[in-house]
Amino acid sequence: MNTFNSWPYALIAFAGLALTTIGTRGSFFMLPASVRLPPRVEKALRFAPACALTAIVAPDVLTRDGHLHITWHNNELWAVLFAAAVFAKTRSMLIMMAAGMTAFTLLRLYT
Amino acid sequence: MLQSSSPTVRVRHTMLPPMERDAFRAGLRAMGSPGIAIAAWGVVTGVAMVEGGLSVAKALVMTFVVFAGSAQLAVLPLLATGAPLPVVWVTATLVNLRFMIFSAASRRFFASLTWKQRLLSSYLNGDVGFALFMRRYGGATEHGTPEQWGFFYGGAVVNYFVWQAASVAGILLGGLAPTSWGLELAAVLALVTVLIPMATRVPAMAGVIVTGVLAVATVGLPMKLGIVLSVIAGVAVAVLAEAKLGDRPLRRLRTPS
Repeated sequence: MNTFNSWPYALIAFAGLALTTIGTRGSFFMLPASVRLPPRVEKALRFAPACALTAIVAPDVLTRDGHLHITWHNNELWAVLFAAAVFAKTRSMLIMMAAGMTAFTLLRLYT
Repeated sequence: MLQSSSPTVRVRHTMLPPMERDAFRAGLRAMGSPGIAIAAWGVVTGVAMVEGGLSVAKALVMTFVVFAGSAQLAVLPLLATGAPLPVVWVTATLVNLRFMIFSAASRRFFASLTWKQRLLSSYLNGDVGFALFMRRYGGATEHGTPEQWGFFYGGAVVNYFVWQAASVAGILLGGLAPTSWGLELAAVLALVTVLIPMATRVPAMAGVIVTGVLAVATVGLPMKLGIVLSVIAGVAVAVLAEAKLGDRPLRRLRTPS
């Protein structure tokens, strides 16, 4: 039984996550007008979301059980790369996801 | 036009600012076509939550309480392995940091409201609503009018309800699909669609590459510390790259003929 599905763990996790939503979106709405974001900090903050998403996606796709997993058998990896190329070309989330899931399913069934 | 022709809707609710009816409708309409993308994104998030291991009941609680799609998707793999909660929260905060920038950029439009009204407005100030609002009023000389609040809430209402309805549909769908279909990959794909437009310039791309390499290299660190460390390094590299190389696009755009 994973801790994930114990109600206390989940509820405390969600409450904290809700606070991050309110804390970031509400930050400058709630702070006094005198509190400003220094331009330098703002510049750095712009890069954090892209880096954070990468820090989640890269290990998820490129590793398995804590080890590098770049092989022909890593269906996830090839499906994601294909979908990313499709997205770069089309800029359409729907086409991208359809392409990625189709590629993944074909790889899963026929390799 | 000195006097606004459209009536201001006076709501007795203390949570909502005064709004102009026409502007509210314009906000509803403006959210129309982005609404399709929001719906798709909501369904994916809903499916991913269930496929990632959450029960249907917990996924429902999560969508209504957390209300931040990319952060929800980002923390799912952490929650699934029972990662320490502070790591989960820090990761979500990092993904959500863009909202702080939105918040700083649009605060002047909401500064005259009561704190309750500001709190609710900020909670609803997501990616699409912010973009639409700033595109329309970013250059306005007057800040904080019933017209602006009306437009904001028109968009926010569509965004909220489309998102939640789609998430619920996704959660119920996810409960039906067999796990062998690998639908959790949809979550990764969705995050990639958010990531790519953020990394079209040299500094961000440098940060993303460094973060990616380090995140993979540090995957074995306890408490998922690798995530935080690789993000700090990636942001530092991006800032440095911007200072040294300038904010250049990855590919030079072709000049329109």
